[in-house]
Amino acid sequence: MALRQGLTRALGGVAIVALVAGTAACNKGSSDSGTSAGGKNCGYSIGYLGALTGPSANLGVNIEQGAELAIEQYNKKNGKDCITIKKFDSQGSADVAPGLARQLVADKKIIGVVGLPFSSESQAANPILNDAKIPNITPSATNTTLSEKGWTYFHRAVANDSAQGPAAGNYMKSVMKVQKAFVVDDQSAYGVGLADQVKAVLGSAVVGSDKVGGEGKQTDFSATVTKVVASGATALFYGGYYQNAGLFRKQLTAAGWTGALVAGDGVNDKGYIQAAGKEAAEGTILTCPCAPASKAKGSFVTDYKARWNVDAGTYSDVAYDAANIYLEGISKGNTTTEKLNEYLKTVNYTGIANTYKFTDKGELDPTKLIVWAFKVSGGEVVPDQEAPKA
Amino acid sequence: MSEPHTESTEWDDETSRQRVDEPIPTTIGVPHERSSAGAGPAPVPGGAALLEVDNVTLRFGGVTALDGVSFTIRQGEIFGLIGPNGAGKTTCFNAMTGIYRPTDGEIRFTGKRVTGLRKYEITSMGIARTFQNIRLFPEMTALENVMVGADAHHKTSVLGALFRLPRHRREEAQGREKSLRLLEFVGIRHRAGHVARNLSYGEQRRLEIARALATDPKLLCLDEPAAGFNPAEKEDLLQLIRRVRDTGVTVLLIEHDMRLVMGVTDRIAVLEFGRKIAEGTPAEVRDDPKVIAAYLGVPADAA
Amino acid sequence: MNFSNLFSQFGELTVTGLAQGAIIALFALGYTLVYGVLRLINFAHSEVFTVGAFTAVLTWGAFGLDQDSRTPGLGGFVGYLLIGLLVAAAASAATAVVIELVAYRPLRRRNAPPLAFLITAIGASIAISEFVGVLTHRNNKGVPRLLTQEPVFRIADGRVTNLQILIVVVALAMMIGLDFFINRTRLGRGIRAVSQNPDSAALMGVNKNRVISLVFLLGGLMAGVAAIMYLLKIGNVRYDNGLYLGVEAFSAAVLGGIGNLRGALLGGFVLGVFENYVSGLFGTQWHSVGAFVLLVVLLMFRPTGLLGESLGRARA
Repeated sequence: MALRQGLTRALGGVAIVALVAGTAACNKGSSDSGTSAGGKNCGYSIGYLGALTGPSANLGVNIEQGAELAIEQYNKKNGKDCITIKKFDSQGSADVAPGLARQLVADKKIIGVVGLPFSSESQAANPILNDAKIPNITPSATNTTLSEKGWTYFHRAVANDSAQGPAAGNYMKSVMKVQKAFVVDDQSAYGVGLADQVKAVLGSAVVGSDKVGGEGKQTDFSATVTKVVASGATALFYGGYYQNAGLFRKQLTAAGWTGALVAGDGVNDKGYIQAAGKEAAEGTILTCPCAPASKAKGSFVTDYKARWNVDAGTYSDVAYDAANIYLEGISKGNTTTEKLNEYLKTVNYTGIANTYKFTDKGELDPTKLIVWAFKVSGGEVVPDQEAPKA
Repeated sequence: MSEPHTESTEWDDETSRQRVDEPIPTTIGVPHERSSAGAGPAPVPGGAALLEVDNVTLRFGGVTALDGVSFTIRQGEIFGLIGPNGAGKTTCFNAMTGIYRPTDGEIRFTGKRVTGLRKYEITSMGIARTFQNIRLFPEMTALENVMVGADAHHKTSVLGALFRLPRHRREEAQGREKSLRLLEFVGIRHRAGHVARNLSYGEQRRLEIARALATDPKLLCLDEPAAGFNPAEKEDLLQLIRRVRDTGVTVLLIEHDMRLVMGVTDRIAVLEFGRKIAEGTPAEVRDDPKVIAAYLGVPADAA
Repeated sequence: MNFSNLFSQFGELTVTGLAQGAIIALFALGYTLVYGVLRLINFAHSEVFTVGAFTAVLTWGAFGLDQDSRTPGLGGFVGYLLIGLLVAAAASAATAVVIELVAYRPLRRRNAPPLAFLITAIGASIAISEFVGVLTHRNNKGVPRLLTQEPVFRIADGRVTNLQILIVVVALAMMIGLDFFINRTRLGRGIRAVSQNPDSAALMGVNKNRVISLVFLLGGLMAGVAAIMYLLKIGNVRYDNGLYLGVEAFSAAVLGGIGNLRGALLGGFVLGVFENYVSGLFGTQWHSVGAFVLLVVLLMFRPTGLLGESLGRARA
């Protein structure tokens, strides 16, 4: 389940980016903030461990290509093949990843890893990376528990799931100016977590709440719809996943409720629009602990397109930054895994997508978290704006 | 599992239970013509063979319940099959009506093999039966019970029934009328609208006979129909059996009560331990030393 | 406990509960019919429902309708509704009869023990639902909006919509039709005869196998109609919807008295409404807890359910 949810969420991200990419503008500006001089420290490798094939390959390819672009740009200045990338294709599977992690740690040239993209494969493979003392930065795995296992070599370059709740709450409060909100969750750990955080932010604006059955366990939401309509709420936060969110939204609309539904990245999937129907889904707000790749600073968007002949996808920008963090560390002489990990502890690196500073658990510093709101418009998910931090 | 012995026990239980639960009425509601035939057995009709039991053997595991039994029931007669408890009467009966399949031998009805046919096929050939322990449809009315039997000859389809096509309605009306006549015939027409399980014991027995007759049988098999009856009720039953025969239906009577059998049957076969030990008119059988020996120690009017 | 919620929304909760209960009741008839005749819980009945639902959605799709199509006018609605009812009922009935022929009849012929029937039933259920799951990629399939739900009148505080009226009326009509069929026709008499005493029925010339096929067919027809009502109400269908709804339908059948047609209707309504009251009072997450505690408590006092176990006729 965990894997599937992870994949669907990730795939949802891919869908967004495919949509976003069409509107991506070419903005040229200053570049290569990550490479400073010092070309002596060559001959090392950065590993990529994650999906390159399989059902969830798209997201993995986004990440790998972002990292590889950063390394190629670095090598242009520091000599051909100064730093190489080594790829290990996990197919997004928690069963495949540990074996590859063992192969990876056997390669002593590899001193840093970009990955792993998904939460479930991270849980399976990270203990191996940690035991081998290889620093790793995931650009996309958002399960909160990953930072609570005592893995000192683990880092996360995006906000985790727990950042979305406050962001969604703040968006409802500050952007939508909701006076009366209803909060529903599906009783999953993910859904309850988000819903509780939204309630905390909205406070007295919450006029009612309810808990429904998870995916497949409940399809008739009439009792909850009754409560929502009776409450007079103009917006509803749904903590849960896309399939039931779609059913719920459709039944709300059928019952004549015209308010907006707000949900987390668990609903950020085209399956949501399929289940709800385009008309009912219109105007839904979806949060994601990611920024649209089209908003990346510098020449990244054009460089990426020129190199790979596709538009940059979700997390390509973060992966590009993650690779550049390693490269900067290496160029400063941190050429062992331990030294590189020490370097990550103190880094304060401004990349194209964000500024990166890690807590002692490897999470992004709370002031650096980015959560974006996306909006369903015309049957497609398009970027709306960055969710306010308060 | 269901050896003749067990069945008898089951019957005994059933009877005693019924006796406790349902007060047995001393008279049955409908007046009968106490006809002249009541004086003694009707003359033996020299009809053609209707049912032939030909050397039938039936074994359950190691137990031989029937051992090479043969007899012939002729058209238009009342035939008795008697024997002490556990002699194999009911087993023989069940073999005839398709419940058991003979291990060996053959049963023919109007010259056609019965052995191996399904129950409803045997019914459509013209054999009907009642049970020792009454087996009505307890939640259906008396009329509906009989109509189930009458339905066997109807042709309408599911669609016909769903849409109440004229043919279905006509058949329903015919079946209802026929069933009411049969209830009248057995003397419980006034109970037509009552649920079967609310009928008295005697009425239930009669209803079973009416239901069996509704299938238009050539042969009606009655399995201990007088079980649990008092002498007055038994007398009424004898009348009814004769009247059934008078309508042209051949009757096979399985009984245990010698007096009843002797009073109504044209011919009798006697079973003991799964073997036929005698066959003939009531008078012949009564005087047969083997039969006397078999019944020794068993009072002749045991019931 | 939120009594103000329950009271302020009492009418609305009752009405939506009745609509859901009507669907459950139609679904429950299949369990009760088969149980009445075979003393078998046909777990695969939930898939009879699923197949009917998907067949209808695919058929509407063949007419160019999907969940984003424009809502048709009244004429279109009636036409599509009838087409949907027809194909769903046909597909469900066919599925039910095939399940009987393929899964149960061979077991009956071999006098298999009850456990074999139970496992076969569960096996057939899982096999069919997984098959549908794989074919549909386990995704929700959106249902075309055939009808714009509009309040027609109010009872106290409760709005009664055109769809809710339609669902309850259709369910009652099907129920009355079935009750008539079982109690007033020759074939229905045969069904009751087999259910009350299979051996006697056979000796009265009733073909038991035909009666059993008929019972599966009728249960399938009802499930197909239930599927259409479900699609109109829920707006989506997924391969496993039948499984969860099936548990409720089966419970409704037991609640009303399994084997008793009117019991299934009553059980469905009671369950649907009671679940909604519990949702209003304690929150929706408690609705199953409430419903099943009701079931357990009720069975303690009336082990054979509200109306007792008897096919077609309440005990006199």
